[in-house]
Amino acid sequence: MSDLAAPQLTLDVSSTPRVPFGRLVLVEWRKMLDTRAGRWLLGITAGLLALLSAVIMLVVALADISPPTANDWLNIMTIPVSMLVPVMAITIVTQEWSQRTAMVTFALEASRLRVVLAKLLAVMALGAATIVLALVLGLVGNVIGAGIAGVDAEWNVTASVFVWALATQVLYLLMGFGFGLLLLSSPAALALYYVYVWILEGGVLLPGIMYVLYFTMDWAQSILPWISMRLAMLPYQLSDADARSFESDLGFSFDTGALGLARVLTSVFIWVGLPLILGTWRLLRAEVK
Amino acid sequence: MITVDRLTVSYGAFTAVDDVSFVAQPGRVTGFLGPNGAGKSTTMRVMVGLTPPTSGQVTIGGLRYHDIPNPGRHVGTLLDASAQHVGRTGREILAIAAQTMGLPKTRVDEMLALVGLSDNEAGRRLRNYSLGMKQRLGIAHALLGDPSVLILDEPANGLDPAGIRWMRGLLKGYADRGGTVLLSSHLLHEVEQIADEMILIGHGRIVAQGDRATLLAGASGTPTTLVTSLDNTALGAALTHAGHAVEAAGAGLKVQASPEQVGRAALTAGVVLTDLRSGGAGLEDLFLELTSSTQRDALPNGVPA
Repeated sequence: MSDLAAPQLTLDVSSTPRVPFGRLVLVEWRKMLDTRAGRWLLGITAGLLALLSAVIMLVVALADISPPTANDWLNIMTIPVSMLVPVMAITIVTQEWSQRTAMVTFALEASRLRVVLAKLLAVMALGAATIVLALVLGLVGNVIGAGIAGVDAEWNVTASVFVWALATQVLYLLMGFGFGLLLLSSPAALALYYVYVWILEGGVLLPGIMYVLYFTMDWAQSILPWISMRLAMLPYQLSDADARSFESDLGFSFDTGALGLARVLTSVFIWVGLPLILGTWRLLRAEVK
Repeated sequence: MITVDRLTVSYGAFTAVDDVSFVAQPGRVTGFLGPNGAGKSTTMRVMVGLTPPTSGQVTIGGLRYHDIPNPGRHVGTLLDASAQHVGRTGREILAIAAQTMGLPKTRVDEMLALVGLSDNEAGRRLRNYSLGMKQRLGIAHALLGDPSVLILDEPANGLDPAGIRWMRGLLKGYADRGGTVLLSSHLLHEVEQIADEMILIGHGRIVAQGDRATLLAGASGTPTTLVTSLDNTALGAALTHAGHAVEAAGAGLKVQASPEQVGRAALTAGVVLTDLRSGGAGLEDLFLELTSSTQRDALPNGVPA
């Protein structure tokens, strides 16, 4: 209080610029990693990825089967990512409410939108690091798995499939973040996320309700791709051979043109756009106690 | 300087803060007093932009909180010492705030030393803190950015008597150096001794404000004095003769007169006094009286204690 020789009636704010955005991101990054809960979550994610690739290689080594292809590795390794990274995206928001630290966070940075964006950037960086780890492990696994089986590694992931797989992970992260903002409660947001991703949608390896309906019910084929992100993206993720066999054998029609894109955008808006918009709106207006 | 201007906060039909206006001046400690649920915390949350006002506004040093860049450097707040992540250590909690505000790491150690948290205590997680330790950490957190304005909600809550005395000295020194201090309490005696100015709030409305003398002067009615002497009978007779109402109270007398009038009567009557004090319409009575319509508990008869 060296500048307080005389009582001041107005604040002299000329020498204190607002908190730089980069610093807010670094602080949010730090807050993800400075608790046991945060470190455990990261440890479990990394551990699960390493364990999964080790188990697959072990199975290839012990059972005399053909090793998984690059596409298989991609499908397998993204499962732990989509299970755990969105949990970080959810808790980076909801923890501020359950632990009531929002009072301090917003007292030190009054612009809540800047805080929200800093959190999003921090958790996206963490998500990116996790995805890179998963990809590296999958890559190494593919090479070693093929080596164990004594065959050439099969690199059957096209650029399109790869990009869509990454996009899916990013969308799941954004969805978790949106659910967190919208519900401001860890259990509620986690439940909603898991119900959507694992019970309603599922994936190639573990199909969910919408996935099953889509492949069994005629009416579902035209409706569900508008609602399910995964089904909307399916035409872009199938290999050409798979798409052709589905189309000729089962009478499916996959649209990767304007209709397909409209489906992707609509489903993404429902599950990612709306929660992000409504959730941010809620957070900006919420009373912090 | 904190300026609260016609602030109203409503939740549906319930009005938590009702047309409240006051000013907390720099260089002074302003006590914000009221029973639980009177609207103190809500008013303070509005000050730092955590609760949106229904109408009216608060400015700090002429600015709305939202318009203060790096607000932690100007306004130190302690709204709830328990509102911190229980899994973080005390030191980490301060370090996060210091990093946000762009302060050197040494500042964290300075503040820990200032509030008397040892290295060992600072390394413990918050879930292992007592309420008193949380309050000390919260005060350290509020002082971290070397602000010129302090807003503290129930800072003495959970502090032991030595801690309360320490905090009094800290805040007094802070105001003496020109800082603005606003602290709330539901306990009069916590605030009475350090506040230069007191704002009494009940049921969301300000019921009285001013310094101690002004508040007492505003308390209506004849002053009451409690007196004990070596000869209560003679003193009683002298006082009655002088026209003051006298009644027995414990070992002494309760007189409807000022201590000065009682002293003069004793001098004239030649009676030795062993105890003489202002007995009625103390701040506590005033506080209870002014906020009684909002008290949860009915007051027992014959309050003065």
